[in-house]
Amino acid sequence: MTETADIVVIGGGIIGSSVVYQLAQLLDPSTRIVLCDRGPIAGATSSSCMGHLMVTPGNAQEYALTKTSVDLWRGLHEQLGGFDYNPTGALYLAESEEDIEMVPVLHQQFLDQGDQAEILDQKQLRDLEPGLAHDIPGALFYAGDGVVLPMLAAGAMLRGAQQRNPNVVVRPNCAVTGFQRDGDRIAAVVTEKSVIQTNTVVNACGVWTPGIGEMLGQPRVPIYPRAGNLAITGHHVSPIRTQLLEISYLRFAHAASDVDPTQTDRDAGGHAVNMQPQTNGGCLIGSTRQFRGMSKQVNRELLKRSLLRAHRYVPGVAQAPIIRSWVGLRPYSIDNHPLIGPWDPVPGFWIAAGHEGLGISMAPITGLLIAQQIAGITPSIDPTPYLPGRFAL
Amino acid sequence: MSGADLTQLDTVLEADVGIVGAGPGGMAAAARLAAAGVRVVVLDEGQRAGGQIYRQLPVGMHNHGVVQEPPSHDDGHNLIQSFEGHAKDGGEIELVRGATVWDAQPGRLWFEHDGVSRLLRCGHIVLAPGAYDRCIPFPGWTLPGVVTAGALQVMVRGFGVVPGKRALVVGSGPLLLPTVTSLLGAGVEVVAALEASSRMRALRAVPAVAFHAARRREAMWYMKQLWRNSVKLQWGWTVFACEGDGRVERAIIGKVDAHGRPRKGTERTIECDVVGAGFGLVPSIEVGMRLGADTHMLPVRGGHCLVVDGEQRTAVATVFAVGETCGIGGAEVASAEGELAAAAILRELRGTTVASAVVSRARAERRAADSMLGAFAPLPGLHDLARPDTIVCRCEDITRLRAQEAAAMHGDSMRAIKIGCRAGMGPCQARICGPSLQAMATGVNACAMDVPVVQVPLKPVSSETILTAPQ
Ligand SMILES: Cc1cc2nc3c(=O)[nH]c(=O)nc-3n(C[C@H](O)[C@H](O)[C@H](O)COP(=O)(O)OP(=O)(O)OC[C@H]3O[C@@H](n4cnc5c(N)ncnc54)[C@H](O)[C@@H]3O)c2cc1C
Ligand SMILES: Cc1cc2nc3c(=O)[nH]c(=O)nc-3n(C[C@H](O)[C@H](O)[C@H](O)COP(=O)(O)OP(=O)(O)OC[C@H]3O[C@@H](n4cnc5c(N)ncnc54)[C@H](O)[C@@H]3O)c2cc1C
Repeated sequence: MTETADIVVIGGGIIGSSVVYQLAQLLDPSTRIVLCDRGPIAGATSSSCMGHLMVTPGNAQEYALTKTSVDLWRGLHEQLGGFDYNPTGALYLAESEEDIEMVPVLHQQFLDQGDQAEILDQKQLRDLEPGLAHDIPGALFYAGDGVVLPMLAAGAMLRGAQQRNPNVVVRPNCAVTGFQRDGDRIAAVVTEKSVIQTNTVVNACGVWTPGIGEMLGQPRVPIYPRAGNLAITGHHVSPIRTQLLEISYLRFAHAASDVDPTQTDRDAGGHAVNMQPQTNGGCLIGSTRQFRGMSKQVNRELLKRSLLRAHRYVPGVAQAPIIRSWVGLRPYSIDNHPLIGPWDPVPGFWIAAGHEGLGISMAPITGLLIAQQIAGITPSIDPTPYLPGRFAL
Repeated sequence: MSGADLTQLDTVLEADVGIVGAGPGGMAAAARLAAAGVRVVVLDEGQRAGGQIYRQLPVGMHNHGVVQEPPSHDDGHNLIQSFEGHAKDGGEIELVRGATVWDAQPGRLWFEHDGVSRLLRCGHIVLAPGAYDRCIPFPGWTLPGVVTAGALQVMVRGFGVVPGKRALVVGSGPLLLPTVTSLLGAGVEVVAALEASSRMRALRAVPAVAFHAARRREAMWYMKQLWRNSVKLQWGWTVFACEGDGRVERAIIGKVDAHGRPRKGTERTIECDVVGAGFGLVPSIEVGMRLGADTHMLPVRGGHCLVVDGEQRTAVATVFAVGETCGIGGAEVASAEGELAAAAILRELRGTTVASAVVSRARAERRAADSMLGAFAPLPGLHDLARPDTIVCRCEDITRLRAQEAAAMHGDSMRAIKIGCRAGMGPCQARICGPSLQAMATGVNACAMDVPVVQVPLKPVSSETILTAPQ
């Protein structure tokens, strides 16, 4: 079967879904947009992760990206709803000396961005989160963060897109297998189910993004899988109300790794605990980081280490039943910044990928930047730092 | 002995053979191995040996009323006796009661026991974890008082609880009969017993029963019990809905067509305070899958089953599987297969031969069960009972409509439905809703179900248990 589309989006994770949603908002409702995923919608990393909407104040550029995006999430909640949006705020916890020193630093970073955060004493801490241990030496509360259930959010965005534009087509279980070219340009996307003639393609395939570029004869963009173990408790047992994380998380997760991601047998892995209340009263416990290829086997040793840290901060969680553990693969880009924008060597080919551990937080702004650039509208924030061209040599 | 040694002793067990499940399959394997002097440790979640069918009351508890037991239970009692004989102090069998196996590797079974994280190290493993009840959602099935046949069995036989005064029994397959007699034995009036299969369809089971002496005797016994208590088995009928204020007070029943679809205009209301629903069983395969066994889809045997060779060996050389985990077949199949697995293990450990009679008995029991259960394979039309607003996933409170919407957007696989609405993500991990969910959300027959994905822990355990797991 042959069909035509104005735009084909490949990959129906949180990023692809957001791209489709924002395209449907900005382009005329007659625009035919086809989203293809080789598996279920949101069936890969976007359903194996946590849903912390995180504002990172490390520098103005990062802050602009994450803050704008988390604000957009609030708007999506108001317009679409249905994805367990919960404006919990985030509680950063510190135990080691090195971590305690980070508390005022992080506080100052929020202030420097014109935002606010609170350093809490023991009493304030316990009032906010009664389930915490009574001897946590350092804590900072930031009210601007929140939590969503990412896979429901992807579905909500796609339903929202179809409501605004009836020509949005969503195709799960439809893998992209190749392309047809017309000189430099793309002429068609070849899928398992049809050939879709189009000149505009967005590659939003998470950790599989480099493989799609290869189908076009392009070099592999430097995105590598970085595994994370998670565990979830039963319902109605969560002893916490806020999104909790060890402050060392910032140091360890949001800096470019000093481990070579291609050496998949060398990375001993690391962890900083991250605990998230779920709407059904469960508690999601993460998270670890390790480069070890595409394996989705739970690393019990690493998982144990994050459970231990969880017990340290929230003793009540020790007796909570764990109902499942699993692994998700973060799309880590080598310079730790996502790739958002056109891939210049192939006109009409766009990339939206490589968000590592912040893809849920950054999904709305990513979709918006792609849609604005495709629609020829001035982008809401400066897109330059994220242009994939930095890897097109 | 130092403290450290003591804890080691406490938490790590050693055995030649480790067995999961103390139902007929596990007990038969254990008894035979023990008789040959092999040291066996049996892990079971329950408090007494017996498994589903020969479930025993906790020690010291007595039944209300008179427990009426079919002739096959003589075999069961013999099996339990022989098993418990070996399980006495100093015997070859150690039965660990209340042990939940939550992770497994060839030669290693991790389990939670009285809140303690323990490990069994063993040479061979025999899996006999049995089956789960198949749930068919219908309006009102989540009301208190509506229970599965398996849960009724646990209540009545396992805890001596009298669940109510007037019971309606519905479902399909041979399990209906013991459910009725268990209730009668507890002094409950059974107001009706509804078998969804038509009498015509059920006739297919006749040869398998008529030419199998034990089954024939069993069937006659059940028929006599029903007749004596004036309980009529109504073929081609089922429950359409249950209603009541806070718990079940009445049921709407009616006729179904050959595919199990409800027939409009046949509805009748019946007063009752208990509804036992037994629409068959689904093999429990997660421990086997975790160990690396292969699975295959066998609709007659209830869904995805572990694949075993002619001597019950899985794809993993040291792991054997018997009974319902290889497909629903009943207690005789389970015990025959348990003996066969034990014989095959004994050949390896003791150099004895596997008697051909043991092999042929296991084969014959399995063949007979397959041909009998063919008459009661799940009827796809029963999935039409659930309305759009009927809850299909109890853990997450998901309605049929939401599951359908999830399938429409995310894809028609079991995983896609889960991801799209959370159905099956709760504590039961789709063990209850899974077999029906995909069929209801997509309109495809239940038997087209995806292979489930298994993750650790295989059953919910505390995080303390995971943390302190011995290596
Ligand atoms: C343990 C863990 C915890 C995390 N916690 C958070 C958090 O709290 N907050 C946060 O913001 N982020 C978090 N993240 C990060 C976030 O999950 C990811 O950044 C995000 O999900 C990536 O989304 P994606 O759409 O790029 O990728 P994916 O969700 O993987 O989507 C890519 C899609 O492409 C499809 N695809 C691949 N090849 C093809 C093909 N040939 N044809 C068609 N389709 C194809 C795949 O099937 C897949 O569905 C976490 C990640 C992990 C692993
Ligand atoms: C209500 C009801 C009535 C029945 N009536 C009959 C009948 O009349 N005739 C007949 O032939 N069959 C009947 N059956 C079927 C019968 O129960 C099975 O055929 C038989 O028990 C199968 O034996 P098994 O050894 O395979 O499993 P089971 O007897 O089910 O034993 C499995 C055991 O494994 C344990 N277990 C499972 N998973 C784990 C784990 N992870 N960790 C630790 N322990 C675990 C369970 O606690 C259970 O005790 C009935 C079943 C039910 C539910």
